[in-house]
Amino acid sequence: MALSGIQIYKVLPQTNCKECGVATCLAFAMKLAARQAELSACPYVSDEAKAMLDTAAAPPIRLITLGAGDRKLEVGNETVVYRHEKTFVHQPGLFLRLPASLSDADFAAGVDKVAGYTVERVGQMLRTDGVAIEGASADAFAARVKQAVDKGLAVILLASDPAVIEAGLAAAGNTKPLIYAGAGADSAALAPLAKKYSASLTVGAAGDLEALAAATEKAVAAGAEDLVLDPGMTGWADALALPAQLRRAAIKKNFKQLGYPIIAFPGSLSDSAEEEAMLASLLIGKYAGLIVLDRFDQAVVYSLLALRQNIYTDPQKPIQVSPGLYEIGEPEPGSPLLVTTNFSLTYFSVAGEVEGSGRKAWLLVADSEGLSVLTAWAAGKFDAEAIAKAVKTTGVAEKINHKSIVLPGAVAGLSGELEEELPGWKVLVGPRESIGIPSYLKLLASQ
Amino acid sequence: MSKYIAKAAIRGATAIVNEADQLLEAAIADLGADKEVAFTNTAYYLPTILGFTGKEVSNLGQLRDVVAHCKTLLNEPPGDELWLPYLGETLDSGAATLLAAETIEAVRFVRGQQPEKIDGLQLVGTSAPGGPGYANGPIDDIQLRAWGIQLVDGRMPGFAAIVGCARSNEAAVTLIRELQKRNILVFLSGNVNGRSIIDQLQEEGVEMGYDTYIVPFGRDTISAIYALGFATRSALTFGGMSGGQIRDILLYNKFRVFAFVLALGEVDDLKYAAAAGAINYGFPVIADTVIPQILPTGVTAYEHVVSMPFDDIEGDTDTDKARRMVQRAIEVRGVKIKITDVPIPVPYGSAFEGERIRRADMRVEFGGSKSTAFEYLRMVDSDSIEDGRITVVGPDFSEIKDGGAMNMGMVIEVAGRKMQEDFEPVLERQMHYFVNGASGIQHVGQRDITWIRFSKAAVDKGFGLKNLGDIAHARLHAEFGAIVDKVQVTIYTDPEKFEEWLAKAREAYLNRNVRLAGLIDSNVEEFYSCTLCQSFAPTHVCVISPERLGLCGAYNWLDCKASYQINPTGPNQPIYKGTCIDADKGVWEGSNAFVYANSQQAVDNVSLYSIMDSPMTACGCFECLVMLIPEANGVMVVSREDPSMTPAGMTFSTLAGVAGGGLQSPGIMGVGKYYLTSKKFIAAEGGFKRVVWMSSNLKAIMADELKQVAEREGDPDLIDKIADERSATTVEELLPFLEEKGHPALVMESII
Amino acid sequence: MAVPEVKEKYAGRIQEVTLGAGSRGKTVAIGGESTLPFLHFEGTVANRPAIAIEVSDREPDDWSPLLKEAWGDVMGDPAKWAAKAEELGADVIALSLDSAHPERGNTGADDARKTVRKVLEATTLPLIVYGPGQKDKDNEVLVAAAEEAKGERIAIGNAEEKNYRTIVAAALANDQVVIAKSPMDVNLAKQLNVLIGDMGIPKDRIIMDPTTGALGYGVEYSYSVMERVRLAALGGDATLQQPMVLTVGYEAWRTKEARTNDEVPQEWGDWAQRAILWEANTAITLVNTGANLLVLRHPQSVALVRKAIDRLMAGA
Repeated sequence: MALSGIQIYKVLPQTNCKECGVATCLAFAMKLAARQAELSACPYVSDEAKAMLDTAAAPPIRLITLGAGDRKLEVGNETVVYRHEKTFVHQPGLFLRLPASLSDADFAAGVDKVAGYTVERVGQMLRTDGVAIEGASADAFAARVKQAVDKGLAVILLASDPAVIEAGLAAAGNTKPLIYAGAGADSAALAPLAKKYSASLTVGAAGDLEALAAATEKAVAAGAEDLVLDPGMTGWADALALPAQLRRAAIKKNFKQLGYPIIAFPGSLSDSAEEEAMLASLLIGKYAGLIVLDRFDQAVVYSLLALRQNIYTDPQKPIQVSPGLYEIGEPEPGSPLLVTTNFSLTYFSVAGEVEGSGRKAWLLVADSEGLSVLTAWAAGKFDAEAIAKAVKTTGVAEKINHKSIVLPGAVAGLSGELEEELPGWKVLVGPRESIGIPSYLKLLASQ
Repeated sequence: MSKYIAKAAIRGATAIVNEADQLLEAAIADLGADKEVAFTNTAYYLPTILGFTGKEVSNLGQLRDVVAHCKTLLNEPPGDELWLPYLGETLDSGAATLLAAETIEAVRFVRGQQPEKIDGLQLVGTSAPGGPGYANGPIDDIQLRAWGIQLVDGRMPGFAAIVGCARSNEAAVTLIRELQKRNILVFLSGNVNGRSIIDQLQEEGVEMGYDTYIVPFGRDTISAIYALGFATRSALTFGGMSGGQIRDILLYNKFRVFAFVLALGEVDDLKYAAAAGAINYGFPVIADTVIPQILPTGVTAYEHVVSMPFDDIEGDTDTDKARRMVQRAIEVRGVKIKITDVPIPVPYGSAFEGERIRRADMRVEFGGSKSTAFEYLRMVDSDSIEDGRITVVGPDFSEIKDGGAMNMGMVIEVAGRKMQEDFEPVLERQMHYFVNGASGIQHVGQRDITWIRFSKAAVDKGFGLKNLGDIAHARLHAEFGAIVDKVQVTIYTDPEKFEEWLAKAREAYLNRNVRLAGLIDSNVEEFYSCTLCQSFAPTHVCVISPERLGLCGAYNWLDCKASYQINPTGPNQPIYKGTCIDADKGVWEGSNAFVYANSQQAVDNVSLYSIMDSPMTACGCFECLVMLIPEANGVMVVSREDPSMTPAGMTFSTLAGVAGGGLQSPGIMGVGKYYLTSKKFIAAEGGFKRVVWMSSNLKAIMADELKQVAEREGDPDLIDKIADERSATTVEELLPFLEEKGHPALVMESII
Repeated sequence: MAVPEVKEKYAGRIQEVTLGAGSRGKTVAIGGESTLPFLHFEGTVANRPAIAIEVSDREPDDWSPLLKEAWGDVMGDPAKWAAKAEELGADVIALSLDSAHPERGNTGADDARKTVRKVLEATTLPLIVYGPGQKDKDNEVLVAAAEEAKGERIAIGNAEEKNYRTIVAAALANDQVVIAKSPMDVNLAKQLNVLIGDMGIPKDRIIMDPTTGALGYGVEYSYSVMERVRLAALGGDATLQQPMVLTVGYEAWRTKEARTNDEVPQEWGDWAQRAILWEANTAITLVNTGANLLVLRHPQSVALVRKAIDRLMAGA
């Protein structure tokens, strides 16, 4: 049971020392309750309070870190089964498997492909996270691990021989690698190694959750803390059913033995890159923490990154696009000027309809703090003042040879005010729904 | 049920069943029992018989069973001394009448006597065989489906079965035109002393046929059976029922087919019997002669039989009287009329809502600083007004110079079966949006601070005062058709009348204020929900009570109540309070159960009057945030419009992230600003006296209301004791301020 | 070690809806499940999600060249197109009477009848018939389509809050299924189901379309709305138990990713692969939260989605 801000406040020092960076203890407590702050930020918290809060605040799925530096990857720490309940927190890591059989050149090319892949979407830079390196001899393995780590990638060590694993661990240095010794491996035996190198450790048990729970308990007893689960998916239905059960056990039943992120290998259950991509999509949607691909096609990776970004958006804090002036289809000075808000879905709907209409237009995106047109209007974030401000700051008047601006139909009521804010401008009222834009533009063009 | 009607109907039924029996036997003797019988192009055999009995009659012999069944439905007329209930018997007689009538028409079809020959009748659109010179007879299946879809989707509000002969040709034509105007389908049959309304229309050159939505069935009463065959097939086609499911078929018609019978002229036994048959379907009968009425609500939606003697109807001409008769019929059946266009000379639509009319562009204004205008909407008796009547009492503005002002009062009277006095202000406030929709017209304010400007351009196009009434009439019907049946508007510019009505309006405003003040949670049975925001806050349920309005400030209890009447499946649903669990905190079994069921089981306990214990969740649209300041033993209230830092160390937008999203977070909650003035405002924690800090803009906007609250709380200077962003933006600044002012919260019991 | 029981016991079940009757060589049942997608361990997945291929009665001028390449000449003829779609693995033909749109041909009821008749004759599969999405024209051509296909149990759509009565009436009169489309919102979807249900159409003749965005264009909203719909339905809310149809092809092929390869970043990869995956991954993500019927456009994504569903059903 989550604690409320008030309950947390009661055990805090109540001194308003501000050293946590928040002005009052209650405000800090509220942030803790909303999981927007960490208890460790409070220097004066009592042990008793800490114990109480730790228990209450301990995530039902353990947070696991892989990699270091700016590619540090955190997975786990999820608190809900369904994303609408709050949000999914940590995006699953995307890895490429590099088999031992690769030539050195192909291996290097694989590492470069992963390390070099980055693409911008809705203002965010998206990229893949690392490589899963298959071990052969200890020396060759160490060399390959080092090569990947040097490129800044997070690594998963796919090896079963403890000596090979240790070589890889040593080569990975302090980059928090993950040991994956195969589904049938005795993970408890590897626990000391994991501990020694601050690595995380995969625990597997083919399709048997009871055996899996027993195995994690054994591994923890042997000293491992950071575990990753391989529930042993043997088919696509399994790939949905097993993670679903693990997620429910961890979150709804608070069953610590299964409260770890899940690793999945969709490639082994697929016949083509496209199929692999689809299974990976299912796993992104439902509960994988780490996804290891066998194939690396840019189109596949791009679609998975886009999906990952979508699913891990906070449903209560929608993605925003940057406010500003957008050009659709190389508009000319005479092209119409439309205004809308910077809620991504709104932007995409409007931009999509304008594009789909095959016409050119200037799209002015006002800063509505990510709210849709009506919501922003109701909240006073999309009013005549905000629109006028956008007109002025973007300097759109310099780019067009007319002074007409098209308002979304839903906020027709703003037209009068806007004309007052923008003297000399003509305010037109567009359709209420974006689907009406093509017809509207056609009408405008005919006038 | 009048015993008089019962007796007549039973007599009429007995006679027609006997007639059917004789005609059938004669036909079988002439043509044989195997002789095929069928109506025009239908897959439903003899539809009324199919509906009632499930029998798929295709030859004469099979009709014998039907007649036999009719006989079992006949009863002895009630004796003069008998006081047993006789509604059932009468309705059974009605059923027997329908089956017998259909039997008779089937026999006539076989003999080539149907559709009836009517000399000179030329239909525009018909499915009847025989060409010109014949009545239509039954409607075929193709036309049934075409019209049926319109009846089901509401484009056609219903049908009127007219039986008999109107008082005059003038009355006949008016009746038909009034029905046509409302898109109501018209079926004609029957006669009085040999003269039928069909003859009247024919004489007046009224075109009849499918294309004009006027279908002449035949000149005798029996042919009225085709109307019920149509109704029966509607249920079979659109209700997914099959023959014999008569209960479902009748209920379908009662609830979904808005039909009524107009009985014109003398009502004989057969007409009573047929009327009894129609009542089975829930179709009321409105007669233009003196007959006993059957008024209790029961089988039909409203009254069963209504007598409207033509001579007694108000009006100077037969046309006036006929118009009123149609209006009454529509009300009796509860037919809802949709008005889609606003009949004014300027463009109308939401696109014009935000227009401003500048002084230079203005022709005339009503209200503002130089004159007074008011709007007053009141509920009245249905009989006292006429729908669509718009009157301007006094001069128009032609004498006013450009840019001038004049006094004007708009009195909107509405009637409706579901209208309640509580909805008056809800509807009245809509005038702002309604009037603003007209291009070139600007509306500001409400009640007696209404301020309307007409632009020169609009007046040039012909916009006048009367058009304000047109807007009110059209839009009230369109938007509030669920609760409004009739709208009449009177606009007063006559100085004397204006003052008289202004006084009446002000009295009403005052009464409403008193009523609102007296509207308290403990006096109502139900609260209302608002789940409008669940699209982004799926677990948030607003519980709206008389003493706690919605947190967005847009919906109070009355709004929700009206909204529910208008849109019973919408986001405002009644929450029956049920047993009170905690009167101080405002917790009821009903509200808890509702919130639990509608928050995806995320919230199971909600206190309406507490911020500390299970406070209401918030979506994100709240006007203000209330947050605990434990150091001051009180709460602060931050307005959405206030961008400054608060003593909690967070601004409104940061705080909103903590409070919103449909999560229950004790110590912080979002509220509508008028909840601050409620007696129930955090009553569990001691009420308004807990407020130690408040955004200055709230203090300014609500100065008067807050002053009253301070007086109510017994501390007239309370507002001055409350800090704001000018006096404190940290707890450290806040506490000395409160000490200095002697704020009551400091000595109240600990809030935590 | 004992693991706590995590099977849910749901009180509700999704309504089963069957498309196709009369002269259709094949009927397709959708819905009927008693658990979340493919959780065979706790409930039954009575029917596999079905795939409809979208066929337009008017040669589309705004479709991606990739689609034109895939379909070739048949795009000019809905009957041939439908026959080829059947050959390429559709379960259902989704015929769009797009030519009825006032700006795209303004054809009327008679044309609609002829097209529907032709397509019925060209394929043995059940049909969905969509109007052009303009109120008056939808009413005109869908009524005609419903009458023409009487006895064939087709689905007609879209019935939306602002325009459902005529379409539902046409479905009622001609024994067809109706598609209830609402804008991405649980309560609006629920309200529309209630309104449509109030007209007296049985529950086994309503399919709901909660509206989707494509991958990268709001698919996460649909994902969550559909999941909420499904959980409420399984929880016993009878007003949300209709199976769900999504127009994935329409949404996915509108995206820049699918439509074009001009001036796109090199990281977006191979155009055809990307475009097909855009459709297939949108589809599979929606299948993951409860889609029962997907309307797709490209033959290769149809094949991919079909095989994926085969694999997901293999655990039953």
